[in-house]
Amino acid sequence: MKESDDMLRVIHYVNQFFGGMGGEEKAETGPQVHDGFLGPGRAIQTALGSRGEIVATIICGDNYFAENIEGASEEVIKLLTPFKPDLLIAGPAFGAGRYGIACGAVCRAAMNQMRVPAVTGMHEENPGLDLYRNEVYIIPTEASARGMNVAVPRMVNLALKLAAKEKIGRPSEEGYFPRGLLVNEISNQTGAERVVSMLLKKLRGQSFESEVPRPNYDHVIPAPRIEDIRRAKIALVTDGGLVPKGNPDEIEMRTATRFGKYTLKGVDCLRPEDYEVRHVGYDSVFVRQDPNRLVPVDVMRDLEREGAIGKLHEEFYSTTGVANIVETMRKMGEKIAEELKVNGVSGVILTST
Amino acid sequence: MRLELHKVKIQDVQFGDNTRINDGVLYVNRKELQELLQADKRLGKVEIELARPGERCRIVQVADVIEPRSKIGSQGSFGFAEKYTTLGEGETSVLQGVAIILSDCRGKGEATISGESHGNIIDMAGPGSEVSPFGQTLNVVLLPQPKDRVSGMDYQAALKMAGLRAATYLARAGENLKPDEIEIYDLPPLTEVMKSIDTLPKITYIFQILSLQFEPIPGEPTLFGKQAEGMIPTIVHPNQVLDGAITSAAPGLNVQTYQIQNHPMIKELYRRHGTELCFAGVILTVAHNNVADFDRMADISASLAKWVIGADGAVLTKTGGGAPELAMARTAQRCEQLGVKTAIAMLHMGADFKDAKYGASTIFSMPEVDTIVSMGVPYTELTLPPVEKVIGGPRSQSEDLTAKGEMVQWMGSIKGSLCQLGSSRLTAVRY
Repeated sequence: MKESDDMLRVIHYVNQFFGGMGGEEKAETGPQVHDGFLGPGRAIQTALGSRGEIVATIICGDNYFAENIEGASEEVIKLLTPFKPDLLIAGPAFGAGRYGIACGAVCRAAMNQMRVPAVTGMHEENPGLDLYRNEVYIIPTEASARGMNVAVPRMVNLALKLAAKEKIGRPSEEGYFPRGLLVNEISNQTGAERVVSMLLKKLRGQSFESEVPRPNYDHVIPAPRIEDIRRAKIALVTDGGLVPKGNPDEIEMRTATRFGKYTLKGVDCLRPEDYEVRHVGYDSVFVRQDPNRLVPVDVMRDLEREGAIGKLHEEFYSTTGVANIVETMRKMGEKIAEELKVNGVSGVILTST
Repeated sequence: MRLELHKVKIQDVQFGDNTRINDGVLYVNRKELQELLQADKRLGKVEIELARPGERCRIVQVADVIEPRSKIGSQGSFGFAEKYTTLGEGETSVLQGVAIILSDCRGKGEATISGESHGNIIDMAGPGSEVSPFGQTLNVVLLPQPKDRVSGMDYQAALKMAGLRAATYLARAGENLKPDEIEIYDLPPLTEVMKSIDTLPKITYIFQILSLQFEPIPGEPTLFGKQAEGMIPTIVHPNQVLDGAITSAAPGLNVQTYQIQNHPMIKELYRRHGTELCFAGVILTVAHNNVADFDRMADISASLAKWVIGADGAVLTKTGGGAPELAMARTAQRCEQLGVKTAIAMLHMGADFKDAKYGASTIFSMPEVDTIVSMGVPYTELTLPPVEKVIGGPRSQSEDLTAKGEMVQWMGSIKGSLCQLGSSRLTAVRY
């Protein structure tokens, strides 16, 4: 293929299997370069036509990559730098998990370190999707390589748009997985006009598109019940933002990234003069008057004395639950649960506001 | 019920010897208005400032915005600051193009719950003025000082009252003038509204007027002159809403009294009444802060829609942040369960929409609630250039220089840039 000035220099990334080296037995192979296209690269080259040329293919074993994602990414970047690429296409990885992670990581590294636009493709259940979709354009594919013919032209179309610095349209128009950006745009009608129109369409049985898709939240499976509450150690945890005066852990008033734990040793009742509330999502006046309304130490001590519970855990945990990042909260939750477990806590009263 | 809005278009506002309108210029007798407002024993000095579009001026700690209106031929005042007045019928004087801005003059900690150092702001020039309708109105800014030993809540109630009194005071000047425009809102009772249009779907509007995320302020007239806190859902005529029955309850998250006076959803339902739909009343409700009350209020609202109004469909909006979103969604769900089709319009608040894994831009996930209009996301940042003049903020501190400089504000803190009631054309798109 002839090189010309306006032809894009494209790098293609594949794993050992699609690179023709072999299956699992070659999964430990480190990254290496092959000049020109290889395997699925042929379909990519066909889709690129005269607009771009695959100047090199990087092949790397899936295990090698997955065992040291950052190191392997670095090596791949080093290998492709001399080619001065304009574009990187990785995969598609279909349903292959380690391969999907490698494709996502290579794309991210190319974009962040070399400012080279990058696109990959994978199946919606590939673990690489959730790891990289916020940063990387990922085209949905089938779970197996049968989906190659559909996926490749879509990947190439989007890649060419990125390389030409064209405005990238909505996920539904361009066919990529939404990346977690919510952007304000101006509609040609007001919210009131649109919502009435949408309702009328619904009533007439006409098709309409909701502007807000339904989220797919995780389901939390409750823990098994406490066998004997009279022997159980119970902890108090809140996301209502109660902290000791001065907020020693500097917990944020919204989008909190931290939690604090505060002693209840010898405390029979929380005193208002000792605490403050760091939270912008509710009116905390009643909590500031009496912090036990949020973190019910007073009644827990009563229950302890009555023998209704075994013991109140000697620390309460607190953070601020307003406009939070789910992932951050999940990590906080795991950390808190871990500590409670270690301390023999078998039940938690979680108060939210 | 027939309401006529007699609109006098105002081109400029100036201080003058007596309050009047001449050739489209509103002259305000500063001293007279000041004395009227200072009669409230909860308030000390009430400064009044003017801010016009194009001036390099920033209004800070904005609590609410009110359009000047008065009931022609009535002694009562708009929004029930004085004598009780029948609302929704008759003639109402409106000064179009003017807005009364209430600036909370307490110390920063008390006045700003948003976490923004200057609270909600209005810019009269630059990008901030372009995103909010109140950057384009002629603004009469009220700066009431709290009297010593007046509680925060008493002050907030007094602040709202001052705004409502000023609204009546100014609009009286338009009562005897020939209006530039008369807007007519005329809708028969529910028992007759279907006549001759009985093939059209009956649509009701479920309007959440108050959020109990924040402690309601006793004495703040949010519903027919009283605080709406303890109400159960009730049906009102849409004209009553347009005519001052409801004011935006503090802290007024993305809802201003001005927007309720010009309620975009009610105007839209009126516009389509008789051609595409039959506008079958407004149901008012309150967003509680606990599940039992969500269920209770949702069921009462949905039952009114289904069994009292006999509605085919309902549109819903919310006020406030997260809990009101759940309350609205629960109400829509209950309507759907009873066979009343719904569509909701909302701002995205509270959800973690950055994590694409969940695809979240709502905090609820209910299969029945599948018809949703996005009215934007408040967290976009806007860089605002420095201004020459700052109006508002606590008087006790020396002039606050940071409010004059360039600042980065999130969209939600520019008063009027977002609207929970449907007036803006913003929509949040997932990329």
